[in-house]
Amino acid sequence: MAIFNLKKREIECKIVYYGPGRCGKTTNLEFIFKSYKKQVRGEMVSINTEGDRTLFFDFLPMGLGKIRGCDVRVQLYTVPGQVKYSSTRKLVLRGVDGVVFVADSLEVRREKNMLSLKDLQNNLKDYGKSIFKIPLVMQYNKRDLAEQGIPLMPLEQMERDLNRQLKVPSFPASAVKGSGVGITLKECLKLTLKSLQKEFKWAQ
Amino acid sequence: MSDFKQQLKALLSEAEIYKGQGLVDEAKAKYQSAATLIRSKENIKNRDSLLSAIETKINQLQKERSAANQAVQSPRLSSKAQNLIKNLFLAADDEGKDDAALEAGIVLAKLGQFDSAITEFNKLIQKDNLRVAAAKNILQCHLAKSSEQEAIDQYQRWMSDDGFPPKQLETIRQYLEEILQQKGVESRLPAPKLEPQDRPAADLELELEKDDEEEFIDITSIAITFESGPHKGKTVEFEVNFQSGNMLSLIISKDEADLLEGLDDGMTLKEIQFFSPIAIFNGSAVVVSKTQIKSGPKQGDYCLDIRITST
Ligand SMILES: Nc1nc2c(ncn2[C@@H]2O[C@H](COP(=O)(O)OP(=O)(O)O)[C@@H](O)[C@H]2O)c(=O)[nH]1
Ligand SMILES: [Mg+2]
Repeated sequence: MAIFNLKKREIECKIVYYGPGRCGKTTNLEFIFKSYKKQVRGEMVSINTEGDRTLFFDFLPMGLGKIRGCDVRVQLYTVPGQVKYSSTRKLVLRGVDGVVFVADSLEVRREKNMLSLKDLQNNLKDYGKSIFKIPLVMQYNKRDLAEQGIPLMPLEQMERDLNRQLKVPSFPASAVKGSGVGITLKECLKLTLKSLQKEFKWAQ
Repeated sequence: MSDFKQQLKALLSEAEIYKGQGLVDEAKAKYQSAATLIRSKENIKNRDSLLSAIETKINQLQKERSAANQAVQSPRLSSKAQNLIKNLFLAADDEGKDDAALEAGIVLAKLGQFDSAITEFNKLIQKDNLRVAAAKNILQCHLAKSSEQEAIDQYQRWMSDDGFPPKQLETIRQYLEEILQQKGVESRLPAPKLEPQDRPAADLELELEKDDEEEFIDITSIAITFESGPHKGKTVEFEVNFQSGNMLSLIISKDEADLLEGLDDGMTLKEIQFFSPIAIFNGSAVVVSKTQIKSGPKQGDYCLDIRITST
């Protein structure tokens, strides 16, 4: 989906935050919106229900400035978590260039993480993409809850559950506190731009 | 603090946090464990008031959940949000086009135009997500033309020309074999070799319960018990020629046209048995339309469309 305007030397690409319901996708975007004011280009749009659940998705446009003479623009999206919105989830994933998989560190959400990753794999496959090939970064969120004595999955266990085969970069995070949010996004942008570069050789 | 108190406190604070994060089921489970823990102790002073406090918490959770579910229906959308959605759906349009082409093929087939229907379906064979549906319909077209052999040959051509992933081909083989068996046609269709990579990778193996609102099982035939009309009380079995979701199309020979007398548009058929490869189930359906085929090999025959309303 990345849109190239070679004349104007512009690139626009799409990164999707994926993960089970309530794992902290929207919170990631909110933090980015607050903390990267210079790069944010416009409003964060959230389509919510009255209870604050994401109904369709959140959307945040960003500009990364010039990279090798190209103006790079990025659109960040999140997907809704609940099972009944599976068609919206798929729609948001359409034309995706890079994915951040946000996993919930709560022990009680272990299975939900695995199901969601599997769901991601299937939806990508329907668009002819492989989870093994797409630029992908893992985030193990809600690490801060350990302080309150809430049972969390050890990071090693999460690696085994979710990342043993994928072997993608992974980061612990606390989206409410903002830790790990920036590095997750940067790594995903790096991988995404690298893969687009390979695909289109735009930086020659 | 006693062991009991500590355990109880931990459970309750977990429940509160899950609740705060909107994890309703998880919160409820923790409240329930807390209640079980309290019940297991007989000599606590304020046992009853503790239990009723927990019950209140659980009820509250349930109330919040149903409120949230109701709110879902009518979100207010800014014009910006509306534009975003429009763009997403516009982008999805070429995909909608394929679904539309599949529907178009089914309509042609229902009208007895099997060859042009096959042409339409063949265009969709290249599309990974529609290949299986298109292939099933192509086979049904051959079968409707009463050429079982052509259906078998077609399967074998697919088998040898490599365009089908083995997993999809296997789905189609099972589908065809089931129909042939019902027709009493002896045949052993060669099965494709399934590659190990067709199976999901080991630690991504968990099966997701699919949101199968739109997925219907293949129904191969149905039995209608007439409740009124000239055939009252009689049960007649019909073959299903085409299926699109919950809409079934039956082609009924002009020689059996009298059976259609009791079946008018809009009529509810309360007693139907549906036969599928997986199971037989009872249900009801509505007659959507009854049309006579004007041209082609089935000229003069009827196409009866019924929609499954409940099973
Ligand atoms: N303690 C804690 N809570 C979090 C964290 N990230 C998200 N949450 C909370 O989890 C809930 C769901 O977050 P949200 O971003 O809406 O999840 P989404 O469904 O993935 O968009 C909210 O109550 C957040 O405040 C985190 O890192 N730590
Ligand atoms: Mg959200």
